[in-house]
Amino acid sequence: MPLTLKRALRVLLLGAALPLVSTVHAADWPTDTVRLIVPYAPGGTTDVLSRKVADLLQQQIGTVVVENRPGAGSTMATGQLARGGRGSDHTILMASPGHTIGPVLYDNLPYDPVKDFRFIRNVIEIPNVMVVPASSPYDSVQAFVEAAKTKEMTFSSSGVGSSIHMSGELFKTMTGTQMTHVPFRGSGEALPALLSGDVDVSFDNMPAVLSHIKSGKLKALAVTSREPSPYLPGVEPLSKIGADLGLGDFVTTAWFGLIADDSMPEEAVETLQAALDKVMEDQSFKDFIAQIGGEAASQEGDDFRDYVAQDVQRWQHVAGQAELQ
Amino acid sequence: MTAAGRPRWVNLNTLLGVFWLLAALLFLFHLVPNHIEEPPMVQNPLQSPRWLPSVAGWLVALLSLALIVEGCLRPPVRDPDAAEGGAPAWRWLLMLAGFAAYWLLFEPLGATAAGILGTLLLFAAHPVRRPWLYLLAIALPWLVSLLFVHVLNVPMPSGTLWD
Amino acid sequence: MEGVSEVLNLFLSLDNFMAIGIGVLIGVVVGAIPGLTATMAVALALPFTFSLEPVTAILLLVGIYKGGMYGGSITAILIHTPGSPAAACTLLDGYPLTLQGKAKKALQMALYASCIADVLSNLALILFASYLAKIALNFGPPEFFWLICFSLTIIVSIAGESAIKGLIAASLGVIVASIGMDVVYGSQRLTFDNYNLMDRVSFVPLLIGLFAVPEVIDFYLKKAAPHVRAASSGLGLTLKELRASLKTIVRGSLIGVIIGAIPGTGATAASFISYSEAKRRSPNRQNFGKGELEGVAAAESGNNGVAGATLIPLLSLGIPGDVITAIILGAFMIHGLTPGPVLFQENLTLIYALFCGIMLSSAVLLFVGHGVIRYFSLVADIPKAILLPIVLMFCVYGAFAVNNSVFDIGLMLFFGVVGYLFNRTGFATAPFLLGFILGPMFEDNLRRTLLIGRGDPAIFFRGPITWLFVALTALSLFFAVRRYWQERIAARPDAAPRAHPGTGDSGR
Repeated sequence: MPLTLKRALRVLLLGAALPLVSTVHAADWPTDTVRLIVPYAPGGTTDVLSRKVADLLQQQIGTVVVENRPGAGSTMATGQLARGGRGSDHTILMASPGHTIGPVLYDNLPYDPVKDFRFIRNVIEIPNVMVVPASSPYDSVQAFVEAAKTKEMTFSSSGVGSSIHMSGELFKTMTGTQMTHVPFRGSGEALPALLSGDVDVSFDNMPAVLSHIKSGKLKALAVTSREPSPYLPGVEPLSKIGADLGLGDFVTTAWFGLIADDSMPEEAVETLQAALDKVMEDQSFKDFIAQIGGEAASQEGDDFRDYVAQDVQRWQHVAGQAELQ
Repeated sequence: MTAAGRPRWVNLNTLLGVFWLLAALLFLFHLVPNHIEEPPMVQNPLQSPRWLPSVAGWLVALLSLALIVEGCLRPPVRDPDAAEGGAPAWRWLLMLAGFAAYWLLFEPLGATAAGILGTLLLFAAHPVRRPWLYLLAIALPWLVSLLFVHVLNVPMPSGTLWD
Repeated sequence: MEGVSEVLNLFLSLDNFMAIGIGVLIGVVVGAIPGLTATMAVALALPFTFSLEPVTAILLLVGIYKGGMYGGSITAILIHTPGSPAAACTLLDGYPLTLQGKAKKALQMALYASCIADVLSNLALILFASYLAKIALNFGPPEFFWLICFSLTIIVSIAGESAIKGLIAASLGVIVASIGMDVVYGSQRLTFDNYNLMDRVSFVPLLIGLFAVPEVIDFYLKKAAPHVRAASSGLGLTLKELRASLKTIVRGSLIGVIIGAIPGTGATAASFISYSEAKRRSPNRQNFGKGELEGVAAAESGNNGVAGATLIPLLSLGIPGDVITAIILGAFMIHGLTPGPVLFQENLTLIYALFCGIMLSSAVLLFVGHGVIRYFSLVADIPKAILLPIVLMFCVYGAFAVNNSVFDIGLMLFFGVVGYLFNRTGFATAPFLLGFILGPMFEDNLRRTLLIGRGDPAIFFRGPITWLFVALTALSLFFAVRRYWQERIAARPDAAPRAHPGTGDSGR
């Protein structure tokens, strides 16, 4: 009796509006609205990308709602996801480098970034770009590193523990130069200081700087991906041009992929993977990726898990070198 | 203007000054050293995470000294309203219960039920005379939480008790 | 010209007009509801803009932004609850006016001030965008540092009755704002290992707690409820009153434009600077904070002056100055457009069509605002015993919605109690809020300046902008101290002048 009573009470309290629309598919999933969690504030690459993905996913699996849950560099939302509980089988999260840097930065996180999740699919990868202001005297990585050996350089980032910051730290340790980190709060605040030459260099995300490189306000010295980016022809990867400077292994890309709590059933993951495959094929999505200077990623399931595990290891290493906690 | 039987220097401002002075000292000598981590190497004392909180703490300490001095020299004029008697105890107890319902029961009861409970408690605290208005206290939180959940897309807790 | 007809072609569509109208309406209403901010409304509207034409999509979002900027003032004036952060300054004089039965005057003043500021801000965007963008780029950490120092000096002018208490409140605000992860080293500050505090104390719960909740507490702790005269009736604003405040409005708008063009400062600072400037220049200085129409005009013109100007760094540099413009940037991206100098070269027609729409939105704001005021002001007629519990409910839901966290509800109630105690003991809450906002900016920019200067203090005085703000800071301090002194002497001619450690420190 109490169960039904409670249930009745709940329906009364919440309104009978809960089972709205849910398109029934071949598979039994989803049976409810799918929620896509963006662990950052609205605006920004993760948010825009998630909304685009949600919009396209929607056409295949029924209603997908995007929720922004910013806080503590994405670990707040990720922690909530890892707690599982009701609705967690219909909740996915757009993870990004914050997912792998968070554990390095925050002690005693309530979750393990690799073990506690299901890895659905890596969606896109965006290289970082090593950019200097147009007024900068350095035209190549060599010249920059040369100068950095005698003069203390500054590099800006969108905040402590951002992938931009960590890339800078990685550069520091690999080249053995002394660079000072100048943290800002978000890319929007960091960019003016770079454009005006207040800081010497940044390893900024491609979408934030692409238009400034094109308009000649910033000079791109290198990209941080393994291969040159088709959107910046003529700009070589750091791992290639910096090989003799000790940068042979310098590959840092911002990745964006969907994860879920490990309680999500296998068939749901498969449904999502199939749907995502179609999203990746969509022309408007391809255009979108091109616009932000990214590249489609392909890792699914365990491949994606390994990819993330590697990322965690690397940042742990960098943080150890940089004496971050 | 001071109440009869009390020395001139016992007044709101001196007491507040003493309170904030003690609070500032506690902050400066306990909280700052124990709860703000000092990174291993700081190039410049101005860069330390402890710098601004300490400066603000010392400002509070100095200013509260000034407040004490001011209170002694020029006792504040008492506000006639302030002396006026307060509300009956049950009223503010009900209000506190309402606050507690929002804070502590928001997750167990869910947003809707906590909202209804909180609103009812506050309605009862300063009794609303017309009984039909209490229906409003039920209908409004219900409607507003529906609005938050379905229109604004906020994942309001639906209550862990009901599962 | 061919260009003109192209622009008009793009602009003159029913969709655009509807987008502006609906956007402004949503903005005003959402902005007015405590706990719901314009940021939230813009974020929610974003997915709906996917299927719209780019111009229509952006205009919808801009409409919400502008409406929200103004809407916050309605509840600030009527029920002492700032609907948006920037309206915290509006309530300093708006709410006392309501208590005097002059709510209608205050609401209309806020509306006219907002609309005038909006138009001026739009004009600045259209005419001087590239010029202002250059200033914004020259605004590095040292310049920012001095701007914040200058802003800190205004704490004295909003300190309420006691400058000492005001400064204590501001220092406490700075301390509360320092909770969270350190920006340079990533170490923990005063978080007590509480996960919820890692990311700083959230702003919206603090804001609602500080202003709205004390009203609730006060009501239930008082024996007799203060009788407030019906607010929706009462006299409207006269042309004479508007004209008297016109200078203040124009000044406030210009302050808003400059602050808005610099990424990362925000409307709240602009409204407080405009307010303190108006107070400094006004012959009725004593009446500020007790119900002065000019104060409402100053605050609202300051914050709405920001609205158009924040689009300057966005459109001309592709740099979002705040969260809302970051979302608008997202909308551009989704439609395959990247704001910045390239957009001006390749898509000038679209930019001009946007400008047309943005200008129109100011007129729509005036129109919509009038309608909304009429209905919203009825709120003030509701007996407090019914109104306040409902306001509290909105506050609780709103505080939760910011981070989906029950912790924030507790935080809001805690700051409610703090705010109440402040009010009872003669501490003004506005300086606390300002300390909370400016403290981190002060620290961030001080540290950044030292970092980019590699420890050389010469960087603090590196160019004309820094000197300008050094001079402004010094002047502002000088005037504040002098005025404080004069008022002291005027108030107590017999009292001997005393040393005063507090006032001189305000710039630090």
